[in-house]
Amino acid sequence: MNNLILNEMMKLVARKRLLVIGAIVGILVILFTFAQYKEVQTQREKLGSDDWRASLQQQIIDMQNRLGSSRISDDWREQIQVSVQQLQFYLDQDINPSEPGAVTFVRMFIENSSDLFIPLLIMIVASDLVSSEHTLGSVKLLLTRPVKRWRILLSKYITLLMATSLIVAMTGLLSYGLSGIVFGYHGWNAPIITGFLVDGGDVDTSSIRLISQWKFVLMDFGLVWFVAVVVGTLAFMLSVLIRSTAASMGVMLAALISGAILNNMVSSWESAKYLFMVNLKLTNYLNGVAPPITGMTLFSSMSVLLVWWAAALVLSFFVFTRQDVY
Amino acid sequence: MLGKKSVRYITIIAATLSILWLLSFGWAIQDYYATGATDDVVKKQDSSQKTVKKNHMFTVVALGDSLTRGTGDDSGKGYVGYVADELKERFNGNVVVQNLGINGQISSQLKKQVKQPNIQRQLADADIILLTIGANDLFQQGRTLENFDLATIKTIEDAFVENLTTIFTDIRKANPDASIFFVGLYNPFIEVDETGVTSPTVRDWNRTAEEVSSTIPRIVFVPTYDIFQLSVNDYLFTDKFHPNQQGYRLIADRIAPLIKWEGERK
Repeated sequence: MNNLILNEMMKLVARKRLLVIGAIVGILVILFTFAQYKEVQTQREKLGSDDWRASLQQQIIDMQNRLGSSRISDDWREQIQVSVQQLQFYLDQDINPSEPGAVTFVRMFIENSSDLFIPLLIMIVASDLVSSEHTLGSVKLLLTRPVKRWRILLSKYITLLMATSLIVAMTGLLSYGLSGIVFGYHGWNAPIITGFLVDGGDVDTSSIRLISQWKFVLMDFGLVWFVAVVVGTLAFMLSVLIRSTAASMGVMLAALISGAILNNMVSSWESAKYLFMVNLKLTNYLNGVAPPITGMTLFSSMSVLLVWWAAALVLSFFVFTRQDVY
Repeated sequence: MLGKKSVRYITIIAATLSILWLLSFGWAIQDYYATGATDDVVKKQDSSQKTVKKNHMFTVVALGDSLTRGTGDDSGKGYVGYVADELKERFNGNVVVQNLGINGQISSQLKKQVKQPNIQRQLADADIILLTIGANDLFQQGRTLENFDLATIKTIEDAFVENLTTIFTDIRKANPDASIFFVGLYNPFIEVDETGVTSPTVRDWNRTAEEVSSTIPRIVFVPTYDIFQLSVNDYLFTDKFHPNQQGYRLIADRIAPLIKWEGERK
C-alpha cells in the first residue's frame, strides 16, 4: 500500500501540478497585496490620518448610509446591520479588526478563498486523478497488476488528501511570505473577537470573547481544509464517473460557480441548504457572518458536507471496482 | 525527474500537514461549540495612539443627516464637499474632512452618535464642526405636511430642543474650541404648500434652533431659508426635498468665508 501511495505521489510531483498551483497562488497573492496596499494608501489620503479608528468609523457610517436606502433587499439590510453592530463593537472595545500585518492578510485571504479559489485549486489535481489514466490509456497497465482495484483507488484518494493538505499549506505560506514584504511579518498575537451570535439582523454579543489571531487563523485553516477535502472528494468522484478530464472539471466548475451565485439569492429557497455548494463558507460561522439561509449552523453545514463526502466516496469506490475498462 | 527520496519527504510533510489540519479543524469545531474563556495572552493594543496627536492639517468634522451626506448632489460632494474644496484652495490642500453624516438621521439618533467614545475622539481633533439636523424631525419624509397639526409639531419641537441642547453640550465637552456651524432649515415645500402653513412653521423652528445655538459659545447658526425662498425649484433635487448641486454650492458659499485658520498663508 505504501508503495502504491508513493507511486501516486511520484506521478503527482512529476506532473508539476503543484508547481503550477503554487504559481497561481503566488500571482494572486501579489495582486491582492498590491490592491490592499493601494487601498490603505487612498484611505490614508482621504482621511488624512492613518488612524484605523477613523477609517473604521467611516466604514460604519458608510454602511449606515446604505441602510437608509430604500432600494436594498431585506437580506442585504440585515447583513449590513450585523456588520455595523460588529464593527461598532470592535470600535467600542478599541480593537482593530484588521490589524495591519501579514497574519491578517493570510486570514483575510484564506477566508475569502475558502468557497471558490481553494476548491478550484484542489479541482486541478482531483479532476484528472483517475480520468487521466483513461485518457492516457495507462489504466489498463495499472489494473493488470495483481493489486485489488480498491487499493489502487484508495492510494489515489490518499494522494488527493495529501495534495489538498499541501495546497492549503502552500497557500498559507505563500500569502504570509509575499504579503509580509509589504505589511511586515507581524500580527500573530493581535486580538480577534469571536463568538458573535447572529439572529436575523441582531447580534448577540453576550458570549463573545477575544482570542489571539494565530489561533483564529489555525482554526480558519482547519475549516478551509475540510471544505477543500469535501470538494476534492466530489471532483474525485466525477473523475471516476466521467472518463474525460475536461468534462469532469466542467461539471465541478459549474457546481462551484452556481454555489457562489446561489449564496446571494437562496434565502427564500430553504431546501437549498442541502446543496453542498452553499455550505462552503464555514469560516463565516467563526466570524459571525449571517449564513445565506436562516437556520444554517456550523453543525448543519458540516453534516451536509459530510453526507456529500461520504456519498461521493462510496460511489467512487463502488463504480471503480465494477467498471469495465476497455 | 525527482528522486524517490524527495518524493518520500514530500509525502511525509504532506501527511504531517494533513494531521495538523485535521486537528485544527477539530479544534475549530470544539472551540465554536464549547465556549472557552477569553485568551489571557491577548494584550489590548497600546492606547498610546489614543492621545490626540495634533497634525498640521485643518480638520473638518461634519455631523448630521442627508444634507451633510450630500444627498441630491450629482457629484456627491454636498455642502461639506464644497466647503472643503474652498478651504483646500485657501489652506494649500491641508484639509481633512471626516463626514459622519447619516441619511435620515434625526436629532435623537445624532444625540446617541455624539455620545460614542470614538466620535468624541474625532470631534476633539476637529478644527471646525459642520452640522445639519432637524429636517427629518420636522418633516418626517413629508408626513408632517400631509396631516398638519400644530400640537404635534410642538411636541416634536420640544423634543428637538432638548436633543439639540444635549448634542451641543456633548460636542463642547469633547472640543471646547472648535467653531460649530449649524445649518438651519429651508422650506422645500414652499411652492407645493397651498395652505401656507409650512413656512411659518419652518421659520419658527429656525428661530428656536438659533436660540438654542446662542446658549453655547462659538456656535454659528447659518440660515438657508432665504436661499430657497424665492426659486425653490431651481435649487432642489428631483426628489423635491434635498438641494441639488447649485443649492449645496449656495449653502457652502455661506459657510466657507466664515472659516479662519491660523495656518492659513496670507
